[in-house]
Amino acid sequence: MLELDRVSVRVRGVPLLRDVSLKLAPGDFVALLGPNGAGKTTLIRTALGLLPAGEGSVRLGGQDVRRMSGRERAAQAAWLPQHHRIHEEISALDLAAAARFRFDETRQASLDAARAALARAGATEFAARLVARLSGGEQQRVAFGCLLAQQAPLLLLDEPANHLDPAQQVSLYRLIGDCWREGLGVLCITHDVNLLAHAARDRESSVRILGVQCGSLAFESRLDAPDLGQRLSELFGLRLGEARLEGRRVFLPAEVAP
Amino acid sequence: MKKDAAMALACLALCLAAPFVGEPLSGENAAFILWQLRLPRVLMGLIAGGALSLVGGTYQTIFANPLASESTVGTLAGATLGAVIALVFGLGSGIAGVPTVALFAFCGALAVTLLLTAIASSGRASLHSVLLAGIAISLMASALSTGLQYTADLNSMFTAARWSLGHLQQMGYGGIGMVLAFVLPACALLLWNTRALETLAGGEERAHSQGVDVATLRATCLGAGALAVAACVAVCGPIAFVGLIVPHLARLLVGASRRRLLPWSLVMGGTFLVACDALARAAWPGRELPVGVVTAALGAPALVWLIARRSP
Repeated sequence: MLELDRVSVRVRGVPLLRDVSLKLAPGDFVALLGPNGAGKTTLIRTALGLLPAGEGSVRLGGQDVRRMSGRERAAQAAWLPQHHRIHEEISALDLAAAARFRFDETRQASLDAARAALARAGATEFAARLVARLSGGEQQRVAFGCLLAQQAPLLLLDEPANHLDPAQQVSLYRLIGDCWREGLGVLCITHDVNLLAHAARDRESSVRILGVQCGSLAFESRLDAPDLGQRLSELFGLRLGEARLEGRRVFLPAEVAP
Repeated sequence: MKKDAAMALACLALCLAAPFVGEPLSGENAAFILWQLRLPRVLMGLIAGGALSLVGGTYQTIFANPLASESTVGTLAGATLGAVIALVFGLGSGIAGVPTVALFAFCGALAVTLLLTAIASSGRASLHSVLLAGIAISLMASALSTGLQYTADLNSMFTAARWSLGHLQQMGYGGIGMVLAFVLPACALLLWNTRALETLAGGEERAHSQGVDVATLRATCLGAGALAVAACVAVCGPIAFVGLIVPHLARLLVGASRRRLLPWSLVMGGTFLVACDALARAAWPGRELPVGVVTAALGAPALVWLIARRSP
């Protein structure tokens, strides 16, 4: 359970988050949308205790995140950073095993769990390969495998499908949707609201959408809300039109630059 | 597994052969030379080379920088400054059996590294800044050493210059015991943290989210590293390049996974220094090269060759 209560964050005098409150429990799906620089990544970093909250409180599993040990934090939430490239000459399997630092277990147990997590993320075929030599899409699969290897009840995802081709994007969001269905809580930053449908599938009404603007929460809505297009248009300052595609609603920029 | 066994055997063979390299062992003094001079020297080389390399590999991990080593964080320059102070001011012969030079070198190395540990764990400076601060402190300590030597008489200047080349002194088994008292717990602490270091190698913030207390880990490793290196350089002088080069050689042979890299750095570093010292004895009959010269002259081309061979 992640609880942000009226959190404000300033870095060197610049306000990055203002009065943000948010709750994420296992089984929840919250998507954070907003323009670049709105504070979405700052919100996740604050939730992880990487940035101190100037005001308000950040709690993970009921405890103040700044007073928790690393292992206690890691047992609550796992994080997929934005296009994080690994340059170390280390195999995908070793990387996923290293993600299990929070467990006090034998090497064999780490390896077994890491293999299972990589298999789940569709990364089995490159488990033995060096991460630095994998393509962007393969690296992202390995990174997702590491996320699952941590076995935390909450997943904090920062633009998980960035730099992936369309087929990879869809399959990654389907996987995120599967994890959610199994009871994990998902907080997902994305610029592409249309991809969320692949995670939500028949549960669109359960996907909460939070619009973030200038460090504040601008609105809260649902993926199936009738006025979502209007809200997103205001959020991004760009008129988004709705279209129906094989029974699904998709949003596309309706304005063409002159 | 086969490769590991072969590497371990090669290291063992080199270390066993090392005492017999140099002036041939014959005559009535042979046993004394072997047991009282050569063997302690080999043991000292094993300990110092292993510790310097393990610490170097650890520093490269905690600073996320392949150029980090005990020379870049100022430990070696601090040790030299301490030794030069003791030599130039002629500060007695020793306290409780420990030579003053060693004592001052130890304090110098420790002081510089602890200063840097304090900067690093204040949380206000980025990793790159901490490393830069280390290089700055290092240069400052070198300048002070040089200045002091300039004011000194010829004899202490010569001794100081000799000392700062690095050497495996004959300290006997007592000296080895003293060094081990620091090196053993420090290296054990570093090796005990390899799992955290492996996770840290995947990125600092990522490791934080995976449960590593990064600031604590960094302070622990810097502190333990400082103790081990200070004890070694107090006795052997600032042996350069070992801590920088051996972890890279080991990485090319066993991979970058810290669980393997760090223990192998320890083993290979010890063997490397022992082998370099044997060469220093044998290379120039009748004289001895400083081992620091051999480590640099041998280690640098070896690394370049391995990198060139590995590159696609």
